[in-house]
Amino acid sequence: MDALSKKVQEVFDEPACGKNQGKSEKERKKGCTKQLQPGAAAGGCAFDGAKIALQPITDVAHLVHGPIACEGNSWDNRGAKSSGSRLYRTGFTTDINELDVVYGGEKRLYKSVKEIIDKYDPPAIFVYQTCVTALIGDDIEAVCKAASQKFGKPVIPVNAPGFVGSKNLGNKLAGEALLDHVIGTQEPDYLTPYDINIIGEYNLAGELWQVKPLLDEMGVRILSCISGDAKYREVAYSHRAKAAMMVCSKAMINIARKMEERYEIPFFEGSFYGITDMSDSLRQIAKLLVDKGAPDELLARTERIIAREEARFWQRMEPFKDRLKGIKVLLITGGVKSWSVVAALQEVGMEIVGTSVKKSTLEDKQKIKELMGEDAHMIEDMTPREMYKMLKDAQADIMLSGGRSQFVALKAKMPWLDINQERHHAYAGYEGMVKLVEEIDNSLHNPVWEQVRKPAPWDNPFLEVMAAPGSLSPALEAAA
Amino acid sequence: MSQSAEKVLDHFDLFRQPEYVEMFEDKKSNFEAPHPQEKVTGIVEWTKTWEYREKNFAREALTVNPAKACQPLGAVFAAVGFESTLPFVHGSQGCVAYYRSHFSRHFKEPSSCVSSSMTEDAAVFGGLNNMIDGLANAYNMYKPKMIAVSTTCMAEVIGDDLNAFIKTSKEKGSVPAEFDVPFAHTPAFVGSHITGYDNALKGILTHFWDGKAGTTEALVRQPNDKINFIGGFDGYTVGNLREVKRIFDLMGVSYTILGDNSEVWDTPADGEFRMYDGGTTLEEAANAVHAKATVSMQEYCTEKTLPMIAEHGHEVAAFNHPVGVEATDKFLMEVSRLTGKAIPEALAKERGRLVDAIADSSAHIHGKKFALYGDPDMCLGLAAFLLELGAEPTHILATNGNKEWGAKVQAMLDASPFGKNCHVYPGKDLWHMRSLLYTEPVDFLIGNTYGKYLQRDTGTPLIRIGFPIFDRHHHHRYPVWGYQGGLNVLVWILDKIFEEIDRNTIVPAKTDYSFDIIR
Repeated sequence: MDALSKKVQEVFDEPACGKNQGKSEKERKKGCTKQLQPGAAAGGCAFDGAKIALQPITDVAHLVHGPIACEGNSWDNRGAKSSGSRLYRTGFTTDINELDVVYGGEKRLYKSVKEIIDKYDPPAIFVYQTCVTALIGDDIEAVCKAASQKFGKPVIPVNAPGFVGSKNLGNKLAGEALLDHVIGTQEPDYLTPYDINIIGEYNLAGELWQVKPLLDEMGVRILSCISGDAKYREVAYSHRAKAAMMVCSKAMINIARKMEERYEIPFFEGSFYGITDMSDSLRQIAKLLVDKGAPDELLARTERIIAREEARFWQRMEPFKDRLKGIKVLLITGGVKSWSVVAALQEVGMEIVGTSVKKSTLEDKQKIKELMGEDAHMIEDMTPREMYKMLKDAQADIMLSGGRSQFVALKAKMPWLDINQERHHAYAGYEGMVKLVEEIDNSLHNPVWEQVRKPAPWDNPFLEVMAAPGSLSPALEAAA
Repeated sequence: MSQSAEKVLDHFDLFRQPEYVEMFEDKKSNFEAPHPQEKVTGIVEWTKTWEYREKNFAREALTVNPAKACQPLGAVFAAVGFESTLPFVHGSQGCVAYYRSHFSRHFKEPSSCVSSSMTEDAAVFGGLNNMIDGLANAYNMYKPKMIAVSTTCMAEVIGDDLNAFIKTSKEKGSVPAEFDVPFAHTPAFVGSHITGYDNALKGILTHFWDGKAGTTEALVRQPNDKINFIGGFDGYTVGNLREVKRIFDLMGVSYTILGDNSEVWDTPADGEFRMYDGGTTLEEAANAVHAKATVSMQEYCTEKTLPMIAEHGHEVAAFNHPVGVEATDKFLMEVSRLTGKAIPEALAKERGRLVDAIADSSAHIHGKKFALYGDPDMCLGLAAFLLELGAEPTHILATNGNKEWGAKVQAMLDASPFGKNCHVYPGKDLWHMRSLLYTEPVDFLIGNTYGKYLQRDTGTPLIRIGFPIFDRHHHHRYPVWGYQGGLNVLVWILDKIFEEIDRNTIVPAKTDYSFDIIR
């Protein structure tokens, strides 16, 4: 078994994954990723998953070793924000050609690494494997190793070619790359009892920055965020944190679990979406830190902040309560934890008629049941056609989903709000929840929906009736 | 010296050179006795206040930066829409040079128009001789099929009688007796270019329909199935008329465009100079009297023409520069009702596409505040579209809009929740707009090229929609009417919104953390 298959197998067998624990040994060996159905619409590949997981690390060069397609289509396509370097937004690729396929692309890769170091001198280079270069047998791990030695700079292989599996698998392989080559390789300047890691937070639309002021006020330091707005160095010394929060339930569970094993960093799964979750997360952070030796008074301080923020939030919700009460929402999410959004929307009086659980764990599903009741409408995997039908049948007033579903909603004449990675508004924290509710309100009350739902006036028999009273057809007259 | 014969700098760079910067500084401090900089800044700031706004709105006599042009400009606009017609403006030639340059700068086309070149002696003794000579020269030199006469203020002030003058000129042999010389009195001190358009079009139609100034019998109307279409004074006439024709053809409507200037203001570069091109033929203009109905796209451009046409027995319908889904719906429904022709699937599809496009982008326009100025009909049409998009047209201003227009806009605003905090300003100018933009800022300004000064002063990004547009090219080739036109307007608005987001985030290493490729 080659190294990559071994890695994949290992990632599949994730002990911290509830779903995995319930499986027989044989099933576990088969892996948790459902085989993709040829011909059916599918999500991104493992490369994409790896790239989006690591791309938020801002000061490194992300070099894609492959033909133009891989970097060409994924270049800077996520709204992960940076407070410092913009290097992560520069598209680096070896852009291999036919001759490289015949003779191998390793030399080109090595030269590319050299040129990046000459021109940009980043603290590290992440090299991404892709289908073609993996198929022709380019050994990126060997090239990276040679380059690291030669140039005295971390050159990190991210071995997740598209064909090995799904986007989610790619997320995890990216995590493995960090565990194998980055985490634990440097030391921070100083330590405090209040140092935490936030894992699986990508700072999309700058969400981390909406939460950070509250952590600052608590006196908690984000030692390292993996990987939103991260610098290479921060990831490299993240093993010195006292505790960790795991944000995205499935993407980087392996990082959290292995860091707990290797460095004794306890972690909890939490979310910044929704008021209860936000407050719980702050509480959990405080609790874990106190368990690890931080002074007790952190707990009280945290409670004060929570009480103040919650009160302020509900006050700001007042104007929306009447406008949003009873609004039916269909929730189709990918990365964002469904249940955390469900709770958030229910808090402002909205009704969730269905939610997708495609990437949710068993535990997630259980939480959804707790929130929505036993007969919760959970959608395992929804095709655009089904989605269309559900919306069309007016079972919902608004759909919240990622950008790719937007157009389905619109064709079904349904208000829609982007809550996935391409969004431009930050919905995290108390502040983000206000923003989310504002945006839902805006979207629902946009005049275009009225227009969208109305047939063209010449298709409407009632209009003619109105235009010419007395010209009712016998049937309509009877009805009237 | 920075300026030398070897390397001559142009105006973009010359006065930025250190010598000049220093020289201007010296000149100012030594010879201009300037106010202290704090005082200048203080006054600038004061012009942004509510106090200044109140003084500004208390202005009674002075107009500063008017958003309107004069009657004869509109008369020329109407005249060139007829086949081989030479607009002839009775009065001073300087005015005519303005109309020509105005249209050339907007349409990027030569614009032919002559005047009777009245001078001081004509002002004293009357302009008859100028008319006689002028018509003769124009007829012989430019070989038109029709000369449409309008007037400048000069001729109006001294009271020249066009009807009598033209009759005398014909008697004196300037042009053949049967040659068509319709006319309209178009004093600039009354109304604006839209009034002039109205008068000139009415003059031409009256000429053909009512016996050519008493020289022939008036036509007897024999109603047929055609409809007449009048676009009104419209900076997008080239794109709009083509779009309207396409729509009518799709519906199978037989129609006459009255004043079709879409060809003469968009001639190809194929080596041939076309002084005249396309246009409503004189025969069509005459036969238009037989149509069953006449549709005007701009009510305030046809305030006199439409009643005149109605008197001839037509059913008439007027719109206010319809833009967007609902306005286009109403327009098409009315055309369908008047002609009995169904609206074809192709248009239904275009409609669906426009609705789709609006929905796709709705979040970006929703709740944005707009200031808007222009001709009265266009203000109504665009404001309605903005309301449809969920935008708030906060200030709506038309220098040539009257109180009735103001009431109509207000009624439209009152009918929409998005019109709640919006106000309408009839008869005000762009200096008033400046105060409005300072005291009650908006996100975007919609207006013609002259709005760029407001953008410069107030920083409000300008979306160029209107007439004239001198500093951006070729937008007049795109329609703003029909569903296709609505899409164009939507795109122009969105382009500016996204440009602004980019502009606000473009500074490297400072704001570009939000400089995203996906918007």
